[in-house]
Amino acid sequence: MYLNETQEQVRDTARSFADEVIRPAAEALDREERFPSEIYEEMAKVGLFGIGVPEELGGPGFDTLTYAVVMEELSRGYASVADQCGLVELISTLLVRHGTPVQQKMLPEVISMRRKVAYCITEAEAGTDVSGIRTTAEKDGEGWVLNGGKLWIHNAPVADTGFVLARTDKEAGNRGMSIFIVDLHANGVDRGPKEHKMGQRASQVGGLNFTDVRLGPDALLGQAGRGFHTMMSVLDKGRVGIAALAVGIAQAGLEAAVDYAGTRKQFGKHISEFQGVQWLLADMAKDIEAARLLVHSAADKIDRGQDATRSCSMAKCFAGDMAVARTADAVQVFGGSGYIRGFEVERLYRDAKITQIYEGTNQIQRMIIARELLKKGART
Amino acid sequence: MKVLVPVKRVIDYNIKVRVKPDGSGPDLTSVKMSMNPFDEIAVEEAVRLKEKGVVSEIVVVSIGMPQAKDTLRTALAMGADRAILIEATTDVNQDIEPLSVAKILVHIVKDENPDLIIAGKQAIDNDANATGQMLAGLLGWGQATFASAIEIADGGALVTREIDGGLQTIRVKLPAVVTADLRLNEPRYVALPNIMKAKKKPLEERPLAALGIDIAPRLKVVRTVEPVGRSAGVRVASVDELLEKLKNEAGVL
Repeated sequence: MYLNETQEQVRDTARSFADEVIRPAAEALDREERFPSEIYEEMAKVGLFGIGVPEELGGPGFDTLTYAVVMEELSRGYASVADQCGLVELISTLLVRHGTPVQQKMLPEVISMRRKVAYCITEAEAGTDVSGIRTTAEKDGEGWVLNGGKLWIHNAPVADTGFVLARTDKEAGNRGMSIFIVDLHANGVDRGPKEHKMGQRASQVGGLNFTDVRLGPDALLGQAGRGFHTMMSVLDKGRVGIAALAVGIAQAGLEAAVDYAGTRKQFGKHISEFQGVQWLLADMAKDIEAARLLVHSAADKIDRGQDATRSCSMAKCFAGDMAVARTADAVQVFGGSGYIRGFEVERLYRDAKITQIYEGTNQIQRMIIARELLKKGART
Repeated sequence: MKVLVPVKRVIDYNIKVRVKPDGSGPDLTSVKMSMNPFDEIAVEEAVRLKEKGVVSEIVVVSIGMPQAKDTLRTALAMGADRAILIEATTDVNQDIEPLSVAKILVHIVKDENPDLIIAGKQAIDNDANATGQMLAGLLGWGQATFASAIEIADGGALVTREIDGGLQTIRVKLPAVVTADLRLNEPRYVALPNIMKAKKKPLEERPLAALGIDIAPRLKVVRTVEPVGRSAGVRVASVDELLEKLKNEAGVL
């Protein structure tokens, strides 16, 4: 394997943590739709949040490939837990790249989960097409006044601080949006009800409404009017993270399917002895490995400072589609049991579906891949 | 107070061990290796003693392949201060026997002058359970094996040992050799920031040749076989039949 000694050490830590702490808890967390604070506290102690935050800002300072390795391992335990790691990673990357020294002071709280964060982009009329957002921040003296509503926001029911994309100039299109750091306990912030989702049910998702929320001059993250670009600057890393998460779900499914096929007997022999089952397992293994290599290659491009957009979209799209198809295979290997609540593969199949949707739908990823192909040529 | 902890790189405890076709030993080619779990417990105990302020420096030492550096880095990331690797072989199949290990450790002890040595009670590969005892013998130090609790006080160590039928607490004068049993502690997860910090901690490599110790094996492995697979259970019709089988077939009553 091409991972270096340090990356392997990190993987071992994440893998043991996932095996011993996360995976045993996943079934109950899914059933109860519960935010696992106790697991996040432990993860923070082990340094499993803010993987890329540099040492001088209080993090371990690992590269994107290491982050991808961690995401896969955590997701092998439970995708909701990995997605929390991914969210913290995005927010901390935004703070590291665009935050003022004063704003960066919140990093230790963010990566220790003492301050829970939310990334607030999506609105009712603005999903994939971010330019459609209607939330506004109007200049008011030194600061701003925020009005509008956000939808399907991860952590909205529990978060302390929101990173909110709002329109600051109605005429300027993609150059008229800005990101604000908003205290979600402030007056004028209302939280909608928690959504009940198909999968990744320990992730708390809901809406946020802002009515005349006063923001100070320090609330602006990055440049005014450049919010869209600020947001886009972490998109590649976000996609690698979700792609790795999808690989982790499928890997958990493969492990469960291999174990089950080796113990379940029909017609007097283990079902792993039937070629029909063997082909399912083989296809799962090869597609998971292919997706993993795409993810690692995309992460490596980011780390080398190369143009990674096409690779990140390919990794996200392939890994998401693969995770849905191959967890469906895992259910198939389990037969009727795989359709029953409480069996891991049933949950994995549900958990996988969203990886084709969030962090840019796989249709958008295909558009990006095609656009890159036609613009920059078929050769990479 | 200075503590020395010897650590061994062994086949990972999660790996299903396979025996080589010729029966000469387990197949170690391209399998995952990691720190012997009992040694991990020993490192953890040393780190906890340091966190309590009892210990000021922890030196870890490994003897074997150059790859044992990975194992030492793990110990450094757990909280050890300094590491020494004695490069003794490049053959993963060469198991260095307890007496050779103990002799090499004597050299290290003479250089380092530790007040306490905490070792794993045994390595999970050969299960020899001998190095700690031999080391204490060669040094003429006291020993406390199978420790499930260690308390340092008044120039000595109060060690609780797991023995048949209960716990025994003994007091040994320092310096001494203590070997760690399973229930001494639960080792921590290696924290990610500490993995980075460990890269900056000193790791010294020394060739075995400089010590002039012959590590040629004194033991000969005659045969290695895999454990017999578990056979299927049987249903019994009555308690009497069960008792009869336990007495006459299983021979446990």
